[in-house]
Amino acid sequence: MKRFLALAVCASLVLISGCNKSSEPGSGNGSGGKKLTIALMPKSKGNAYFISCKAGADEAAKELGVDLLFDGPTDPDPAKQNEIIENWITLGVDVIAAACENKEGISTALKKARGKGIKVVTFDSDANPDARDFFVNQATPEGIAQTLMDEAARLTDSEGEFAIITASLTAANMNEWRKDIEARLAEKYPKMKLVDTKPCDDLKDKAQAEATNLLSAYPNLKLIMAICSPAVPGTAEAVKQAGKTGTVKVIGLGLPSENRKYVHEGVTQSVILWKTKDLGYLTIKAAVDAANGKLKPGATDYDAGRLGTLKIEGESIVLGKPFIFNDANIDQFDF
Amino acid sequence: MLRHETILLLVLVAEWFYFNAVGRRFGTLDNTFDIMRHSAEIGLLALVMTPIILTGGIDLSVGSLLGLCAILFGKLWRDAGMSLPMAAACTLLIGAGAGGLNATLIAGLRLPALIVTLGTYSLFRGFAEAITHGVDTFTNFPDSFLALGQQHFAGLPTQVWFFLVVAIGVWLLVHRMTFGRSFRAIGFAPEGARFAGLPVERRLVLAYVLAGFVAALAAIIYTARLGQAKADAGTGYELFAITAVVLGGTSIFGGVGSVHGTLLGVAAIAVLNNGLVHARQPREVAGMLTGVLLLVALGASALPKLLAKLRPPRHAPAPLSSPTHPS
Repeated sequence: MKRFLALAVCASLVLISGCNKSSEPGSGNGSGGKKLTIALMPKSKGNAYFISCKAGADEAAKELGVDLLFDGPTDPDPAKQNEIIENWITLGVDVIAAACENKEGISTALKKARGKGIKVVTFDSDANPDARDFFVNQATPEGIAQTLMDEAARLTDSEGEFAIITASLTAANMNEWRKDIEARLAEKYPKMKLVDTKPCDDLKDKAQAEATNLLSAYPNLKLIMAICSPAVPGTAEAVKQAGKTGTVKVIGLGLPSENRKYVHEGVTQSVILWKTKDLGYLTIKAAVDAANGKLKPGATDYDAGRLGTLKIEGESIVLGKPFIFNDANIDQFDF
Repeated sequence: MLRHETILLLVLVAEWFYFNAVGRRFGTLDNTFDIMRHSAEIGLLALVMTPIILTGGIDLSVGSLLGLCAILFGKLWRDAGMSLPMAAACTLLIGAGAGGLNATLIAGLRLPALIVTLGTYSLFRGFAEAITHGVDTFTNFPDSFLALGQQHFAGLPTQVWFFLVVAIGVWLLVHRMTFGRSFRAIGFAPEGARFAGLPVERRLVLAYVLAGFVAALAAIIYTARLGQAKADAGTGYELFAITAVVLGGTSIFGGVGSVHGTLLGVAAIAVLNNGLVHARQPREVAGMLTGVLLLVALGASALPKLLAKLRPPRHAPAPLSSPTHPS
């Protein structure tokens, strides 16, 4: 028995060493009219947000005639993204496009890919700058802040009191948005007044409680702006229960699916996010153009097909202004 | 009759040929090294899980301990200012200590291993999350350290050498020393082993402390491979390790099993996971096929026994001349 095992192990070793000689030349890079292979990785596969990104990616892949591989972790193991990327490197894909769950961790694998001549594009959430060629940025902080402030002004005829509910007073990205919101307010809307900013710890029920407090503390409040996603439905529920539907407007940054009900009831007026389908489309388009040389380092604008010409800031391609979901269009989106 | 390990080896060879036929680059040396690198940590955990399951025990805490050790290793190096070798040595000691905690509760207080390690499973992961508040990560390790997880040494990925040393060590322990026989004896009947004069407690302590120590080693290798230590490192690894051990033919009730079986189990799962990517199949298929593989392999070894039972006896009644015929 043991001898058989030993023989079999020897045989498989011979097999391994025999096979590695036959690694084919010339596969991998897209020269000579060969179909490009683009590998697309979400943070996690089951997430509705990324599934709708994939719909746009499929559209771009079809339009551009490239093979699209879509794979990502199905369990919460942070090493999985690295493993899949390393498998893709061996597989010899032409471009890797990834949304990074673990910035530092994934960067080691992406750097290895670049070392092997594979182009790397990140989307949604960036890796370390030296680990990728381009970052497809769904929205800049100023873009998000300006869209929120402009929408608030439009709904309140640019006058009156409003309040903000944020995730926490220390979250870096939200503080950046708040800074930009206040800058926009000071610059363009002198008759509007930000009366209070409350944290909700990224919890829906806490957001609801804070919104209820705000409603009783500020009877003249005209609008509440919720800038973290659980706070949007939480705030809407508070406004609805206080019987102030329509008198106090609700807007926020969140997923259409979580807010559809309140938007149709007229509690929430606008939900602001980007079109995830466009994000997927742009990611694949940029990946293909990075591979065939149309998108070069140092470029300042980029012809993104059906999305028009987009700005490149540094190495990040900006998708453009965020999209406003409202009663008229929210049913067209399923994430 | 085919032994379980032989069936598994045939499965492994079949996997190999299949993926080599459908995946252009599956059979390359680079990919073989990838498979080894990606399975080193789970392989290490499966190796030390084998003696534990042989004793009829189980250790659900190894994945959490991997996470905790990764965090402590980062903490000792970055915040306590230790040199990397010093931090590694301390981490290994902490790992062994954590294994000692399991051992004390299981061997000393004679509590069920399933419940004790379910407790430490939460405890160790909880510590890791508390220390980092779930957000702190340790990065920017020097290249000389990352080489342990990302570079080659003497022709093999560096961590494979560590894996080989542990594999040979555990194999010798289980198959060439009296320890192995006492593990099996404890697995068959702990009270019997005790009455036979075996130092049951000491043997159990050895198995669990070894598991803790090797989980810490796996944590260091994991950190070097990813270049990052985070509180969620090794989530779910305990179940992968147990799957590999059971797939390798070790009975979950203890007493029966082998280290080479475990190695084949690890290899069969690792090749399947990697090969599916090369066959351009989505990742979720791997989970399904691992389950199928486990059930088929277990079924295949149970089938001959079942058939033997069903087959009508040819020379009934059995000849009296062989009353002690093993059935």
